[in-house]
Amino acid sequence: MNKVIQTQNLSRYFGEGETLVKALDDVSVTITQGEFTAIIGPSGSGKSTLLQLIGGLDRPSRGQVMLDQQDISHMSGNELSDFRRDHIGFIFQAYNLIPVLSAQENVEYIMLLQGVSEADRKQRVRAMLNEVGLKGMENRRPAQLSGGQQQRVAVARAMVSKPSIILADEPTANLDTHTGASLLDMMKHLNETENMTFVFSTHDPKIMERAKRIIRLEDGKVVSDESR
Amino acid sequence: MGGINHSLMLKLAVRNIFRNSRRTLLTVFLIGSGLAALLFTDAFVKGMVETMINISTQTYLGHGQIHHKEFRKSNDVDYFMSEPTKLYARLDELNEVSAYSPRVMTGAMISSSQNVASTQLLGIQGEQEARVSKLKQAMIDGQYLSGQSQEIILGSELADLLDVKLGERLVVTVSAAHGGELSQELFRLSGIFQFNDRQMDTYMAFTNLDKSQKMLNIDGIHEIAVTFKDLSLAEDKSQPFWDLGNDYEVLNWRELVPQLNSVLEMSQYSTLIVTVIMFCLVSLGLINSMFMSIYERHQELGVLLSVGTRPMQIFTQVVLEGAVIGCIASVMGMVVGSALSVWFSIQGIDYGSLEYGAITLNDPIYLIIDWMAFFQLAFAITCMTILACIYPAFHAARLSPSYAMRKTN
Repeated sequence: MNKVIQTQNLSRYFGEGETLVKALDDVSVTITQGEFTAIIGPSGSGKSTLLQLIGGLDRPSRGQVMLDQQDISHMSGNELSDFRRDHIGFIFQAYNLIPVLSAQENVEYIMLLQGVSEADRKQRVRAMLNEVGLKGMENRRPAQLSGGQQQRVAVARAMVSKPSIILADEPTANLDTHTGASLLDMMKHLNETENMTFVFSTHDPKIMERAKRIIRLEDGKVVSDESR
Repeated sequence: MGGINHSLMLKLAVRNIFRNSRRTLLTVFLIGSGLAALLFTDAFVKGMVETMINISTQTYLGHGQIHHKEFRKSNDVDYFMSEPTKLYARLDELNEVSAYSPRVMTGAMISSSQNVASTQLLGIQGEQEARVSKLKQAMIDGQYLSGQSQEIILGSELADLLDVKLGERLVVTVSAAHGGELSQELFRLSGIFQFNDRQMDTYMAFTNLDKSQKMLNIDGIHEIAVTFKDLSLAEDKSQPFWDLGNDYEVLNWRELVPQLNSVLEMSQYSTLIVTVIMFCLVSLGLINSMFMSIYERHQELGVLLSVGTRPMQIFTQVVLEGAVIGCIASVMGMVVGSALSVWFSIQGIDYGSLEYGAITLNDPIYLIIDWMAFFQLAFAITCMTILACIYPAFHAARLSPSYAMRKTN
C-alpha cells in the first residue's frame, strides 16, 4: 500500500527548562492511502499537535514528517505553503470559513491559488457544493449558514482540489448529533469513492465507530494503534 | 501556480476594510482630514506669503529702490542723488520698469498750535507716488497732494497727536543739508491718510517734492521707489535695472526688508514641519488601525495560510487594504481640502490689521490653490498609507498558521 503519511520520532516541545512541556514525544506513525483514521485521547494528549505537524502548520522540535514521500520538516515557507495547497485539505472544529466570502468563494479560493481556469473552477465548485448538499446556498456568506452547513462548506473547501490527505481536527465537536452523523457519513462516502486519506483528531464516538484505524495518544505518546 | 487572482485579492481587501465600517470610517476620516488640513495649510501659506509681499511692496516700499550708495548706512540728508533727471531718463528707457517715484526724506519736527511731534518727512510727486504706493488710496479725509506749495498730509494717528484739523497750520522744522542749518516752513493740513499700520500712521508726513528739496536745500533726491511689470523681475538680477552704476545702491524688496524674507522662509519651513507631523500622526493612526484589524483576524489569517496562501500573498493583501483606505481617504481629503481652500480663496481670511513679521496684515489673506501641489500631496498621502501598512503586513505575513489559529481558538 502507498504510504502517504510517515512520522519518525516526531516530537514537539513548548517552553524550556522547568517549564518544558512535551506536547508530543517521539511519535512514529505510518498511514497509507485511503485510510479513515481517528487519533483519540484525552485533552492535552497531543492529538491536535500531531495533526498540525502532519499538516505542516507547525514545525517539529525533533523528528521528521514525510507526506507523499516528501520530507516537509525542512521545506521553506513558500514550499510548505504550496505543498499544503496541493496535497492537504483541512477541516477545523470551528469551521474557519472566511466570513467575507460566500460559500462558493470559500470553496473556490484554493483553486484560485492553484491557478485553475475559471470555467473549471465554477464547474468543480458547483459539483462539490451539490455533493455536500448545499445546492442553492452558493451565494450565502458563513453568517447566513447554520453550523452544519458551514462545516459542509469547510468539507467542500478541503476536498474540492482533490488533495491526497484530509486532516480534520474535531470536525463534529460543534455540531448536534444528527448533523455530525450526517456529515461523517458524507465524509466516509467521499473516502470510499475518491480514495482520499482521512485523519481525524477526535473525542467523538461516532467517528471512532466509522474509523478503520484508531491511534490512541496519552501524554504525547502513542499508547495504542488498532486497525479494524 | 504561485499567483493569485488579483480581482479576488482586491475583493477581499475591500470587503475586509468594510467589516468594521466604524473603524474604517474613523481611519478614513483621520487620514482624509489630515490631508485636507495639509492642503488648506499649503494654500494658506501661499496666500499669506503673496499677501505679505503685496502689502509690503504695494503699500509704500515698491518692488525695488535706488539710493545714493551711502544714504542707507547713515541716513544723512547730504547723501542725495544729484541730477536725478538723468536717472529718470534711464528708468524711462527700461522695459521692466512700470512706474517709479522719486522721494526726499528727512527727520522733522512738526508743531501744531496744540502739540509737537517728531516725524519722518517725505517729499514726493503726488501722481508719480500714486502709481507706486497706496498713499492716495489710503486718504480718509481731505485731499491728496496736488502740487500746491503749502500742502502737507499726515497719518491719522499723527494728526490726532497734534490735535490738528484740515486747513489748520503746521510748522515743520528740518535740519538742512550742507551744514545742518535749521529750516522752517509753514504748511496747512490738506489731508489725512490711514494705512492701519502703526508706524506709517504715527510717524509719517508727506509734502510736495520741490518744497522738501527747497527746505533741505538740495537739488537731488534720496530715494526712487520702483515697481516692475512683474514682481518676479525684482529677483531677476540679469535685468538692466540692476546695473545702474556704482554711484547707486539698488536693492529689491527682499534686501530692503530682510526680516520679511526671514518670515517668508520660516513660513515655508512651518509648512514642511506641519506636513511631517501630519504624516507621522496619520501613519501611526493607520498602523494602529491595521494592527487592530490584523489581531482581530488572526484566526482567519491562520486559515488562509493553512490552505496554502503564501506569506507574500498575505503581505500583499494587507498592503492592498491600506492602499484602498488611502485612496478613499485621499479622495475625501482632496474634496474637503479643495472645497475649503476654494471658499477661502474667494472670501479671504481677515486678520484685522494683525502685525506679523514687520508687516501689518491690513488686507485679507486670499488662499492660493496650487493644484499641482494638491495632487502631489494627495499622492504622497496615498503612498504614505501604503508604506505605513508595510509593518503590519510584514507582521501578518510572518504569522505561523498554528500560532495564529491557537491564539484565537
